[in-house]
Amino acid sequence: MGLVSLLLLFALLSNGINLWLPQIIRGGIDDYTQKHFVFSTIVKKFSIAALLIFVFAYLQAIIQTYASERVARDLRQRLSDKISRQSYAFIEQANPSKLLTNLTADVDSIKLFVSQALVSIVSSLFIIIGCSVLLLTINWKLGLAVIAIIPIIGGTFAYVLKNVRALFMKSRGVIDQLNKVINESILGAALIRVINSQQLEYDKFLRANTEARDYGLRILGFFAGLIPIVTFTANIAALTILVMGGHFVITGTMSLGSFAAFNSYLSLLIFPIFILGFMSNLIAQATASFTRIRVVLDAPDITAVGNLKETLLGNVTLNDVTVSYGQKSALKNISLDVSAGSKIAVIGPTGAGKSQLLYLLTGLINATSGEVLFDGKSINAYDSESFHSQVGFVFQDSIIFNMSIRENIAFSDTVTDESLQKAIDTAELREFIDGLPEHLSTIVSERGSSLSGGQKQRIMLARALALNPKVLLLDDFTARVDNNTEKKILTNIQKNYPGLTLISVTQKIASVEHYDQIILLTQGEIVARGVHDELMHTSTDYVQIFNSQQSTSNYETGAAH
Amino acid sequence: MPKNITHKMNYDLNQLGKTQEKTSTLAGLKKLVQLIAHEKRTLLLAVLAILVNSTLNLLGPFIVGHTIDKYVVHKDFTGVLHNAILLLCMFLAALFTSYMQTTLMGGVGQRMLFALRNSIFNKLQQLPVDFFNKNKAGDLISRVNNDTDKLNQFFSQSLMQFIGNIATMVGAGIFLLLINIELGAAALSPAIVILLLTLALSPWIKKKNALNLKSVGGMSAEIQESLNNFKVIIAFNRRDYFRKRFEIANAQNYKTAIGAGLANNVFVPVYGLFASVAQLIVLAFGIYLIGTGQFSIGLLVSYLSYATLFYNPLRQLAALWTNFQLAMAGWDRISQILSLETNLPQIVAGVAEPSAALLEFRDVHFSYDESREILHNISFKLEQGKTYALVGPTGGGKTTTASLIARLYDPSEGLVLLNGKDIRSYDPVERSQKIGFILQEPFLFTGTVKDNILYGNELYKDYTNQQVEQVIKDANLGTLLAIFENGLDTPVLSGGDSISLGQKQLIAFMRAVLRNPELLILDEATANIDTITEQLLSDILNKLPKTTTRVIIAHRLNTIENADEIFFVNSGEVIRAGSLNDAMEMLLQGKRTS
Repeated sequence: MGLVSLLLLFALLSNGINLWLPQIIRGGIDDYTQKHFVFSTIVKKFSIAALLIFVFAYLQAIIQTYASERVARDLRQRLSDKISRQSYAFIEQANPSKLLTNLTADVDSIKLFVSQALVSIVSSLFIIIGCSVLLLTINWKLGLAVIAIIPIIGGTFAYVLKNVRALFMKSRGVIDQLNKVINESILGAALIRVINSQQLEYDKFLRANTEARDYGLRILGFFAGLIPIVTFTANIAALTILVMGGHFVITGTMSLGSFAAFNSYLSLLIFPIFILGFMSNLIAQATASFTRIRVVLDAPDITAVGNLKETLLGNVTLNDVTVSYGQKSALKNISLDVSAGSKIAVIGPTGAGKSQLLYLLTGLINATSGEVLFDGKSINAYDSESFHSQVGFVFQDSIIFNMSIRENIAFSDTVTDESLQKAIDTAELREFIDGLPEHLSTIVSERGSSLSGGQKQRIMLARALALNPKVLLLDDFTARVDNNTEKKILTNIQKNYPGLTLISVTQKIASVEHYDQIILLTQGEIVARGVHDELMHTSTDYVQIFNSQQSTSNYETGAAH
Repeated sequence: MPKNITHKMNYDLNQLGKTQEKTSTLAGLKKLVQLIAHEKRTLLLAVLAILVNSTLNLLGPFIVGHTIDKYVVHKDFTGVLHNAILLLCMFLAALFTSYMQTTLMGGVGQRMLFALRNSIFNKLQQLPVDFFNKNKAGDLISRVNNDTDKLNQFFSQSLMQFIGNIATMVGAGIFLLLINIELGAAALSPAIVILLLTLALSPWIKKKNALNLKSVGGMSAEIQESLNNFKVIIAFNRRDYFRKRFEIANAQNYKTAIGAGLANNVFVPVYGLFASVAQLIVLAFGIYLIGTGQFSIGLLVSYLSYATLFYNPLRQLAALWTNFQLAMAGWDRISQILSLETNLPQIVAGVAEPSAALLEFRDVHFSYDESREILHNISFKLEQGKTYALVGPTGGGKTTTASLIARLYDPSEGLVLLNGKDIRSYDPVERSQKIGFILQEPFLFTGTVKDNILYGNELYKDYTNQQVEQVIKDANLGTLLAIFENGLDTPVLSGGDSISLGQKQLIAFMRAVLRNPELLILDEATANIDTITEQLLSDILNKLPKTTTRVIIAHRLNTIENADEIFFVNSGEVIRAGSLNDAMEMLLQGKRTS
């Protein structure tokens, strides 16, 4: 704020002195006609004024840069802080690409407002008021006649701005749509090339782009009408000065110097009016952007987090938990007891809600009703940092950051070198990492496109294990890892992380036959539970799944012997 | 041994920026102007409107000056009124030309932006997968959105002012010289200094802006990566990670933005100073000339107006010029993309070899970049109607092999033949019809399940829900559709996180099967689907037309047990495994290599 006041001060100073220049000229002309013109005084006065204007304008420019960039930086920081404290659901709903626009394009238009519009508007208003006062003091009748143009111009602006603002909001929406098409065409580039649907994407883009252009043209239409009307009004003022002022000079009630000054002030007056016109464009954009940013900034913080920092034993309990999205329930009345150190498996068809169950257990989503308890205490009672450093989650989709392998695995601060090495060994990544040109320091690219599916998945596992978790959640972890490696990894986990509570979503019964509990989830409901042998007798669904995997298991054992 | 002289393209835009020689402003501008070459008539009309408008605006002060000298000084009010009526007519005409000027020029600007966006998007569509793997999505998005927006701001807001100002300035300059050549020359001399200064400083300003745009791109990439992977950030409690990484990018951006801002703001005060100097010159020199009887008070008044008319737009131009430099910096970054060409051109068809296999790899070598060869001298044949399985440890080259079959890449050496003809000679439309490829990472577009199943499907695109359901039933896919809550109308939100990975794979499966390809590649396409549904998929695959060839990559052995032939892919080599047992043996013994 201090910077902004300083900025305005310098702007007003340089503009104030600017108003003085015509006065000096007027004095010069009048002195000349009255024959007591002193050349050096005029030059001296003028030079001093010009230099002062330069110095203040330059200072203003520098401060303007710092002020606007600071505003932008701080606004971005506030936004990112806000976003970083939001829930997963918020991000998904707010839509990452829209948040990206908030953080870039929207902040930019506010920055532009601060760097250009703010100063221009204040100094323009200052000049307009200053000019008006000076005009009135020179000759109040003529002054009033000239100032009459201001409300006319103001009215025109108000009308145009009102219409344009609505159009801006709409065109922003179209631009969002345009960006979405671009984003999807970049993220889905491989699919588009396989299907050869480039033309289809182009057509989609063309539709949005045409709409964007049409909005642009409509906005243009308003501005195209605005500028000529403003110019015309200003010209009428010039005409008034000529006729009325001319009349006053002829009748001898006004000096020729004052008459000249009137003309100078009019040209000084018109320029800021124009500036206001062009700035109105910026104002409209900045207002629209600020409204969009406001929505994010005003979003409520996630409900108070707990402060329990106890070391988890690893007992996990679900009491009659339901998760619904509107009408639709993803999980229905789930009750579950997992005692510390035990291993349970969740199996079930595609879309049954298995991943949702794990999301629930890691606090990514909240239960609509019922309780999620760790060691008998609600998940919400735990301090989130302490909680997340004890619960490891291996996601189903590979998420690799554009950082070194070391940073990708030791993703949390709390990871020691020892636990990093243990995690690497357990995930059978040692050989792979040793084979890389820069070992752990090798940077892997975004979306991990330089890694194979199995390598990505094992890095994700190591990331979770590096926490030394008390509870490990595996979401279909073995899907992309070959059987041989999978077996080794599971044995490693057993050996290196004794006492770990393991909850594993999987498709393969063979790897979980010896687990303490197997749960069969179908359409968000638990339809069967028990150990393998029990389920083989009690659940026909389970048997069906088991049979669907039988032939392969035979091959596997056959090959292993 | 057929050796390809494949045209290697460097697709890394950040490296490209370093090596590519800087284009001059003029050359860049020329390329831009080509985009509106077809608008000659509108442009001509616009220029005409601008010229008339400027002349009218400039004549104003002249007539005012004339009126003062001739009538006001001589106390002739009727003369004043006469000229006033003339002025009114001129102003009315200017009202019209000014409107025309803005609509026409603005229209050209909007259409140019439209054409520009189209050509970038079109270029993006032409570039191969390689390009997208070499560049960060966030950076690309920033280039297409942010940098075109810089051009947009210039075209939609600055261009009209730019041209209008130049016209006014030139006109005012001419008037200054016409009224009195000596005084005119004196009044314009500061402008020459300004011009030289502007030319000297512009490259520096452009460089500062280019640096800033680059850091904006880096910041967007950062945001994009973090936001898209937000669940990992939450689950590992690394919200601070997001904040920290963003803070670094934000600070970096702040630094370059200050640099660019200071550079951009250098002109305005300097121009202001020179404008004042010019006024002083006019005043002093003018009074001297009046003293010697060569000039009049009336002329001096209009002369001062002209000087203002000349220097005020010049001051505006200072601000616009930096906008222009910013737009050109953005344009440079966009041009980098536009200058790229696909490295997968269609070659002239050779003679097909008779009785050939459906697909053949002949001595194929491949590397993603120069440093490491991924596939070493691979040869194999796929015959029509058979099912092939590619097995092997992760990172062995299975996906790469599949990508070459679908021509997402060309081999660096050797040939891939489709029906005996070099695959590179096929029209992309024909090739993509023959070869279906279900990618390892399923991708869905925002829309509905129906949109995604029929994505890129020319045959069924206009079908109603009922018709589509029938088609799906006929293709034995009905049970798969039942998994979706609202069937075909189930919405798919952006990013597709509302739908589970297994469900995404089902959609990708249906999408590929409905296209009815001759060769269908499944790259771990069912990895996250439960085994019962998978059996269903396997049945569906078996019921595909007898002529369909299937290539299956999987870790789950039950998915490949029905294969006619199994290839073991490891360390960039493809070995034929006799039976499933042989393959198992190899898997157990084979060392995992990267």
